[in-house]
Amino acid sequence: MIRVRTIRLVERAYEALRVRDSLRARALVGTGDDSSHPATNMNLGRRDFLAAGAGSLAAALLTACDANPRGAESLLRFAERRNEVVERWLLRHTAMDHSRARVAGRAFPSYFISSSVPIWDPAVRGPWALEVSGLVARPLRLTLPDLLALPQTRQRVNHFCVEGWNAVADWWGVRVREIARLAGARPEARYVDFQSFDAGFHESWDLESATHPQTIIAYAKDGRFLPPAYGAPARLHSPVKLGYKNTKYLTRVAFQAERNGGYWSDQGYEWYGGT
Amino acid sequence: MTTPGSPAESPTPAHPRVRHHWVVRVTHWASAVAFTIMVGSGLRIFAAYPHFARKGETFCCFPFEHRPLPGWVHHLYIGGWLAGGRHWHFAAMWLLILSGLVYLGFVYLHGEWRDLVPRRGDPRDALEMAKFYLFVRKDHPRQGKHNALQKGAYFVMPIVGVVIVLTGLAIWKPVSLGWLTALFGGYVWARYWHFVSMVALVLLAVGHVFMVLAVDPYSIRSMITGGYSERLSPEARNARPFYHLLPRWGRSARATPDSAVAPVTVTSDMGGSAP
Repeated sequence: MIRVRTIRLVERAYEALRVRDSLRARALVGTGDDSSHPATNMNLGRRDFLAAGAGSLAAALLTACDANPRGAESLLRFAERRNEVVERWLLRHTAMDHSRARVAGRAFPSYFISSSVPIWDPAVRGPWALEVSGLVARPLRLTLPDLLALPQTRQRVNHFCVEGWNAVADWWGVRVREIARLAGARPEARYVDFQSFDAGFHESWDLESATHPQTIIAYAKDGRFLPPAYGAPARLHSPVKLGYKNTKYLTRVAFQAERNGGYWSDQGYEWYGGT
Repeated sequence: MTTPGSPAESPTPAHPRVRHHWVVRVTHWASAVAFTIMVGSGLRIFAAYPHFARKGETFCCFPFEHRPLPGWVHHLYIGGWLAGGRHWHFAAMWLLILSGLVYLGFVYLHGEWRDLVPRRGDPRDALEMAKFYLFVRKDHPRQGKHNALQKGAYFVMPIVGVVIVLTGLAIWKPVSLGWLTALFGGYVWARYWHFVSMVALVLLAVGHVFMVLAVDPYSIRSMITGGYSERLSPEARNARPFYHLLPRWGRSARATPDSAVAPVTVTSDMGGSAP
């Protein structure tokens, strides 16, 4: 119903364009005076522009009803890029999330993209270690005891899901900022990619969000080591990014000069995904 | 001596050049388009989690907390899927904010707020209007640019709009703008107020469109070109919803004797006090 109406709108806009073209042709033929042409053209040009604008708006509305916006895609991508500038400007390392609510516990949703819960099997893959590499002075391999030996951050924060729900948990872990300092991240490293053993899941972050004081590599939730459903042995957690940016089942933290998308960002979700 | 009641003499010209300034007309339609996109895409986002409770908790104040969205709602979606809905939402929000700010700034600076801000007599006038619409009262109450019910609606709509934008920012950036989120009672409540104010504005907009079509369709022209004939005003037609939609050609309209008499009284008053 809506689609039929928008199609008619587009048709009408094109019809208007056609009529105006013929009007312009007549105007050009009718006036022998050359000096009047620029003004005539300008006037009609504006009208053409308005008609074309109405047409593209209708087209945008039309594609809005589709699952896959085509005509509006470039406009939406432009808006996303502009929004990212605003979001980055709004992000402050002093803006902290604190929650005094009770932890969600088992009500905290969990997901993974593999067909079953990803579990690190040392018999198959060898002992687990977190690799810190890329544009760093000292590439690292951090085992779980190594992580535990590093300065611990404990925080009770929100987890904001892109779907609209939030859930509270206590997270214990090491700040990414601390890892960056240990590894000696180079100044050209503007992005950080967080990779996992969950069927190739990864998400890349801007350095500012990654080094936010509440962005941690968590190994414990609600006072216990992470169960497999929540990303064991270690996962990324931060209230400053939407849930889908927080890679679970971590294997590698790569500092890099360029962003390289991510599992959900590549499918069309905002790459920045900030809160 | 000039003729009493000539347009130059009368303190309020009976036929102002345009009923709505072009800034008001442009921002009106821009807001209408932006709000439509915001509602459609917002419903798509809401559908991903059509509840308000934080995970592991309950929510007191939403009667449909434990029910899925009714099936027909998906006809209203814009953006198709969650990511698409979010892109539309975060693009159209700038159009809504921009046109809202331009409108409010213009109405303030240009003095149009005088037609919209309620006065002491307005509740009584609104009651009279309600009586008229309910056939309790026979004749249309005297009015200024808008009747008292209209005035109330047009005064409340921008306020609800401001609440929508602020609560929207609060749930878009619950960490970066944490102070704003806290102002609305935290993320869950900010999301709730965002939804409630959306419903309120949709109801006001639906009521507005209904009254335009059923009482004063001539005002559509005044919101497009600015042109409006007092002879066609609801007051002149003594119009209720679906009553007296057409002007009465045979009878002299009610506005005519009023506009003829009022300036005469004013000029004679002025003439009496001047010497």
